[in-house]
Amino acid sequence: MTENFTMKKMERKLQHADRKHSKLYLFCNFMALMIITAFSALMLSPTVQTVFPEGGDSRKQMYAIFVLTLIGCVIFTMYASALFFRHKSSQLGILMALGASRKRLVPGLFREILILSSISSIAGIAAGFPFVWIIWRGFRLFLVDSADMYLTFDLKCIFVSIALLFLVVGFACLNAWRYLRRTNIMEVIREEHINEPVKEFRKWCGPVGFILIIAGGVLGYCAPSFWYNILQAYPPAWINFFYVPVFIGLYMVMLHTVVHGWRNYKKNPYKNIIARSMMKFQGKQTVNNLIIIALLIAGGCFAIFYVPASGAGALLMYAKQPFDYFFHYRADQNIDSEEEIRAFAARYGLSLKDWTQGEYITLGGGGNQEIMDDETHFHIEYVPIAGEVKILSEENYARITGESVDVKPGTYMCVMNEEESSIAASQSIGHLTNMDTRAQLTTEYAGNVHYTLLASDNYVVVDNADYEKLSEGLTDEWKGKIVGFNIVEKDSYAFANDFFHHFVDSFDESCELVYYYDRVAKLIANEKGEEFWGEYLLDELHYEDVDSSFFRLMWAYRPSFRILSQNDYLFTMSVFFMMFIFIFIVCLLTALVVCYTRCQTIALNNRYVFDDLKKLGASPAFMLKEVRNQCNNVFKVPMLVGMSVMYLLFAMILYGNDGKIVTSEIISLGACLGILVLIGGVVYAVYRGTVKEMKRKLGI
Amino acid sequence: MLYVKNLKKSYEVGKAKYEVLKGIDFHVAQGEFVAVMGPSGSGKTTLLNCISCYIPFDEGSITLGGTKLAGQSEEMLAKIRNTQIGFVFQDFMLLDGLSIRENILVPRIVQEEVGEDAEKLADSLVSLFGIGHIMNKYPAEISGGEKQRAAVARSLINNPLIILADEPTGNLDSKSSRAVIEAFGNAKDKMHATIFMVTHDSFAASFCDRVILLKDGAVYRQLERREERKNFQDVLLDAIKEMSE
Repeated sequence: MTENFTMKKMERKLQHADRKHSKLYLFCNFMALMIITAFSALMLSPTVQTVFPEGGDSRKQMYAIFVLTLIGCVIFTMYASALFFRHKSSQLGILMALGASRKRLVPGLFREILILSSISSIAGIAAGFPFVWIIWRGFRLFLVDSADMYLTFDLKCIFVSIALLFLVVGFACLNAWRYLRRTNIMEVIREEHINEPVKEFRKWCGPVGFILIIAGGVLGYCAPSFWYNILQAYPPAWINFFYVPVFIGLYMVMLHTVVHGWRNYKKNPYKNIIARSMMKFQGKQTVNNLIIIALLIAGGCFAIFYVPASGAGALLMYAKQPFDYFFHYRADQNIDSEEEIRAFAARYGLSLKDWTQGEYITLGGGGNQEIMDDETHFHIEYVPIAGEVKILSEENYARITGESVDVKPGTYMCVMNEEESSIAASQSIGHLTNMDTRAQLTTEYAGNVHYTLLASDNYVVVDNADYEKLSEGLTDEWKGKIVGFNIVEKDSYAFANDFFHHFVDSFDESCELVYYYDRVAKLIANEKGEEFWGEYLLDELHYEDVDSSFFRLMWAYRPSFRILSQNDYLFTMSVFFMMFIFIFIVCLLTALVVCYTRCQTIALNNRYVFDDLKKLGASPAFMLKEVRNQCNNVFKVPMLVGMSVMYLLFAMILYGNDGKIVTSEIISLGACLGILVLIGGVVYAVYRGTVKEMKRKLGI
Repeated sequence: MLYVKNLKKSYEVGKAKYEVLKGIDFHVAQGEFVAVMGPSGSGKTTLLNCISCYIPFDEGSITLGGTKLAGQSEEMLAKIRNTQIGFVFQDFMLLDGLSIRENILVPRIVQEEVGEDAEKLADSLVSLFGIGHIMNKYPAEISGGEKQRAAVARSLINNPLIILADEPTGNLDSKSSRAVIEAFGNAKDKMHATIFMVTHDSFAASFCDRVILLKDGAVYRQLERREERKNFQDVLLDAIKEMSE
């Protein structure tokens, strides 16, 4: 009997019967929250925050991909909510048609959606931490383990997830309210069966979309340089809106995919007509989904490209460097002499050869400085003492590099790497100043010389006589030595590692500095009674973190020991690599989940179409072909667009760095292409699995 | 019982406005079985949806059992739908997660009034319509004809003033259609139900006391049944033919 069958019990029974759709909704929310929690937990963890340099490109890249993933997840949860309510609407409409007032429906409906959305979101947030921990642990176990990789969480990360949780719950409530306030009950009942066709655009839509993507990419990438160089202003935050055409273009490309497809059906207009029509009539949802997939894939590629981009150049450089050991130090530091180092090496059964030693001095160099006119605009002004410059004489340069160079008196030459892709000293140095005696020499730029091992420390070469003049009265604090040597035998990692630690231990506290700390700028600021902008940098680096990535990459006297650099490269860069690999996994996983969910929705929504086809005598092979066509469009187009757009953007960034593509960058691009092929393989495997699952669900 | 006066309703699609009902007038008396027929687009379903308070109308008035439907609060309209109107949809609209017994009792459940009397009424309705054997089954387990008869039983569970049926035989084969129409006949004869049905089917309409023919959003003609059912069907077919010329 049904005497005790109350509204509440009925709603519970209906919810139970509706669990298939609820599960999909739960799954979508759970995945979105888990991914965002995991991403933000790792991104904001002290582990990553300490290793990724503040204001650095890698950090910006990480944040940009996070925003992309967040947008993807937000759209995805909104889609899941809309999908859930489309199914729920017929139930709601029937109850309204049978006389249930809004007042009667509100408690049950809101209870259900609040429970579903909050439980799935909370479960997602809770799962995010073990998820990131397991993946990180996996990295440490199977790929690389370093002291830097000790994972800790900052609970601040939870705020992002909580904001998304509120968005998920809020959007579900908004949807519920939207359905309940409708006055046309028939619309509510029929909602599930109402198609969402997209506007018919002409065939120019897709090609124009591609043009917009490229134009937006170029515009967005070039706008900051235009602002800086032409308008002489710092680019405002809204400058990122120049990327908007990329998104419009993406929408148009996906719209074209859904409305027209990319094949020419002129000869056989009925070919794939069922798959094409099914897509077209669920156009809005499909287009949204395809955009999310393309964005996530682009984000994932952007992340994973970091690995070959930074790895190829560095490993190539280590292999080519002419000295096994190369380092510099300040003359006032107590560093081992040649004999002592030879003795140190002998303990490891090693002997040294090609011992090379030279001197350099550090002077104040003139340069153009940005003088702020207002909060954003500046003008360029020449300052005779702007910052540190390391000076080599012609003689010292020849001694170290083995190459003679002729620098005319009153001029200087910048030291760059072979490919001239390194950041060299300024070409606008007009004066060189001895910081002890303040003796000054007027100078001008006379070209570049090439020596990779000296390229990263702003060295310039001057005439021997000029060097002598400028060195007069200079204390050891401003003088330095450069040493390079090779090992006769097969080099030993143990020696390199011990020597590195011994080398660091030989420095006193005054050298506990990052390489971009500028002693000249500090001195000038103090003399003017101003506060030095880089004061905070003094606390950035510590000798006790000698094995951290930050120390090895940022120390002002970081040496270049080939075997150490090669062997420890993965360790030194581990947090960077693992973070970006993690982001890649997360983005790819999310994109694949969206693809899978979208295809499952197609199967659920179009079940009746396949039933009708069966009744009309369609063979299993024909129906399978239609299923494949549907999945093909969902998987293929956004994946291809996401991957190719990011590949082109990446190539553009590499070119934009120095106006050319150098050997290491060609290797990077090749490696990235390899990665894209691997991604394609994974996507294909998931596509096959999805088709199989759809086949099962549709009973083909 | 039901009075419809100068009823107007239009839809806006983009910038275009389509007038679907252009001032409809008619009434249905207590215990009467009335059908509305007309070509597609004549406004039949819109008319039914306006009467059932599913969609708002623009002008005119609908009075059901002395209550004017225009200007009523949402809460009141829901109460009218629940207690004074029974609705039978073309595609049954049973809730998949509930058994047939529970589906029939839904109008009572939403008012939290499932008592012994409701149970007894449900039992008598299912035996009246010959579906007692499927009471504990679920919609997915029964035929279309059985689903529609269950929907008719549901429409009667609150003893409404009127049953509104939208193409109730539209999705059924002839045998099931006959069973549903007979169910309406039983409801009229044994429960004195008033039935207002929209249909395309001249066979189903031939069972009615009166048929209203709609054309282009207005009443074209009203035909009262004075002869045998079969002859009335012929009269209807002639009138429809004349209307389409």
